Amino acid sequence: MKFVRGVFDKIEPHFEKGGQYEKYFPLYEAVESFFYSPKTVSTVAPHARTYSDMKRIMIYVFLATMPCLFFGMWNTGHQANVALAAIGEEAMTGWRIGLMQAIGFGLNPDNILSSMFHGFLYFLPIYVVTMVVGLFWEILFAVIRGHEVNEGFFVTSILYVLILPASAPLWQVALGISFGVVIGKEVFGGTGKNFLNPALVARAFLYFAYPAQMSGDAIWTPVDGFSGATALGITAAEGVPGLANYDITFWSAFWGTIQGCLGETSFVMCMIGLAFLLVTKIANWRLVVGCTAGTIGFSLLLNLIGSDTNPMFGMPFWWHMVLGGWAFGLAFMVTEPVTASHTNVGRFWYGVLIGFMVVMIRVINPAFPEGMMLAILFANIFAPLIDWFVVRANITRRAKRNA
Amino acid sequence: MAQTRRTYLVDPLVDNNPITLQVLGICSALAVTSSLKVSFVMALAVIFVTAFSSMFISMLRNHIPGSIRIIVQMVIIASLVILVDQILKAYLYEISKTLSVFVGLIITNCIVMGRAEAFAMKNPPIDSFIDGVGNGLGYGLILMLVGFVRELFGAGTLFGITVLPTVNNGGWYVPNGMLLLPPSAFFIIGLIIWAFRTWKPEQVEDREFKIQTVEAH
Amino acid sequence: MPEQDENQGFLARWKALPVDSVPKTIFVAAALCLFCSMVVAFAAVNLRPLQEANKLNDKRINILQVAGLYDAGEDIEEAFAAFEPRVVDLRSGTFTDEFDATQFDDRAAASDPELSRALDEDPAGIGRQTNFATVYLLNDEAGNLDKIILPIHGYGLWSTLYGFIALEDDGNQIYGLQFYDHAETPGLGAEVDNPAWKAQWRAKELRDDSGALKITVSKGLPSPDMENHQVDALAGATLTSVGVDNLVRFWMGENGFAPFLENLKAGDV
Repeated sequence: MKFVRGVFDKIEPHFEKGGQYEKYFPLYEAVESFFYSPKTVSTVAPHARTYSDMKRIMIYVFLATMPCLFFGMWNTGHQANVALAAIGEEAMTGWRIGLMQAIGFGLNPDNILSSMFHGFLYFLPIYVVTMVVGLFWEILFAVIRGHEVNEGFFVTSILYVLILPASAPLWQVALGISFGVVIGKEVFGGTGKNFLNPALVARAFLYFAYPAQMSGDAIWTPVDGFSGATALGITAAEGVPGLANYDITFWSAFWGTIQGCLGETSFVMCMIGLAFLLVTKIANWRLVVGCTAGTIGFSLLLNLIGSDTNPMFGMPFWWHMVLGGWAFGLAFMVTEPVTASHTNVGRFWYGVLIGFMVVMIRVINPAFPEGMMLAILFANIFAPLIDWFVVRANITRRAKRNA
Repeated sequence: MAQTRRTYLVDPLVDNNPITLQVLGICSALAVTSSLKVSFVMALAVIFVTAFSSMFISMLRNHIPGSIRIIVQMVIIASLVILVDQILKAYLYEISKTLSVFVGLIITNCIVMGRAEAFAMKNPPIDSFIDGVGNGLGYGLILMLVGFVRELFGAGTLFGITVLPTVNNGGWYVPNGMLLLPPSAFFIIGLIIWAFRTWKPEQVEDREFKIQTVEAH
Repeated sequence: MPEQDENQGFLARWKALPVDSVPKTIFVAAALCLFCSMVVAFAAVNLRPLQEANKLNDKRINILQVAGLYDAGEDIEEAFAAFEPRVVDLRSGTFTDEFDATQFDDRAAASDPELSRALDEDPAGIGRQTNFATVYLLNDEAGNLDKIILPIHGYGLWSTLYGFIALEDDGNQIYGLQFYDHAETPGLGAEVDNPAWKAQWRAKELRDDSGALKITVSKGLPSPDMENHQVDALAGATLTSVGVDNLVRFWMGENGFAPFLENLKAGDV
């Protein structure tokens, strides 16, 4: 480590004001603070004393996604291997299959290593593309605007990858993350100034721009010729009992052994991540409580109303929670501190709004069976307004008390 | 005189563009820009209406009673818009079907009213006419830019002629479906404003408040 | 001075009034309204025939297109002369001469309580079903029936789709299907206008040999007995596809044109 420090110390003057690479200071700073904790610390009053800085927060969130990531890799590979076993030789095309067989992992769905590696082969290209393209934009803006490349992008990139389907074309991945970073974040001034979650902006862009590759039946398991709707798609058509026809039980959805986006299928893994974030106080518990309450409350109401033509009305809340992006969205997107409300009361209502909207979109809007993404983006927009009302209410209350 | 008339015409294109600087007329810019042909006809319609309404209002400006001036302006604008609508329906039926209510909504386009109230009421008819043409052109310019991006990347065509053959028709281009939806025009107009303000920094508004920075010691 | 005032003509006194005075205000308002209404009325009256012709042509072009007879260069009126419009009573499945077929307004009839009925089962989402509909018969040169064009409509995802279906003379094989009015999602549901998708309808059959209604829009590869009846659903537009499936099956079924087509087959209309 001494050697690395030495290298940094040696080259640092070149990047500082007046040095020959002054323009690229953000790049240097990014690499340096990747290795060491940032050295710019506020020393003037008022002091904020806390163990966590931006870097640590971001690293914690990154760590929290690990269970989802590893489980997602296994599940993607597992689903692909199962589908391959069912369809047979004709679907065995592409470089991944060749590589798998050459290495000797085989394509056995029961073999954890084989599934894991197969999933990894899907995860890796998407992640590499996301990092390269996203960092390109980050550094470009940092150099032009003279601010520093922020660790926030590491979180954005991993979240974005985990909510993509494994079969997403790489050029679309690149386009999506470009849109997310530039329009979702940099135009507003970079990390901390964005009012929408950049990963979700990127995903929503792809969802509306290329619906054929981002929704439907053919994309969730990356095997040619395999077709299968998502659990929510099935529920929209046939109701919860219809899920049994496709071998989807509550517990398979709970553990996450169903098809879906790369890392969002498992309720359990998302909850492990969420627990970690709650314990480290990065996630605010009010957001979680609000969102859960909103989902339960509104879905119970819809259960009560009922509908003859729309089977989604009868969907109980515990199913809402284990299917689609609910758990993942709750753990990593609802709790994201920048785009959520900033007052404690506001946080609660912000959560309720998301919980309400996700059920609303899933059940009532026939076009979007997947509602978590849109619900969170919607609430992101309302977060400042919620805060405003909370602050107003507080002012009125105090004015009355002191009147 | 010639110099000022020239500025009446040229100023609204970039320096004082009604859409990008004054942010007026956004509604129709969202709705009609999914193809260039429709954007083009819409731009012509708006140029026609702003130019002639400004001219007529300017001709009458010394006889318009202040108490009913907005109503008088509206009547003139509305008559012209109905005229345009009727002519489109008679001679350009296909396009008028796609434009549907948005021709009628030129009446509510703030650019037209804005020019009538801000310019035509105080200036002679020919100047007002030129100012109307200029503002219509400024609006049309943005419409065409947005239409260009939306049609090219959303449908792979320009003026209906295939430029990027799409996958559905056996080509290679996967069209960007979001660009066919009206909200995409928000992003494109936003990006155009960004480009204009980078090019001409004097268009950037002053900050309403400044975030305080803390000096590190 | 007062004498002078009295001596002044009406015009001069009028001119001397300030612009904001009440009489002038009323005059300007009235004159302007009169003038503008004249201009607008003149344009509307004079352009009306052209507009009506456009509307009619638009419908005719759609009928010609669905029958595969449209040629942009040709005179539409002339080409359309090959069609014989007839009003059909959907309940009995027979032609009726109660109405003039060239003037009959299908959309107005569908909402007229006298001419339509409420539906118990409404898979196409149209609310009321008309009792009368205009169909277009295309005869070949020898004067024999060649194609039948039937109007259809029904609800997709966001909007009601209006269109025509063209059948061969046996009243079973489809020649073409075309929607001329809808507001489905561009790029997804709006792909009902895609020529490649529309081409799938050609030569599909409504009913199998036993006479059961088999035509359907659904995903995936058709089973062997469905090959002649199944049109592939639109990618990514499940609900529009379901809507099209419902409306085609509805209009080809008992509440739609089935009685008429049966009569036609039996040569008994």
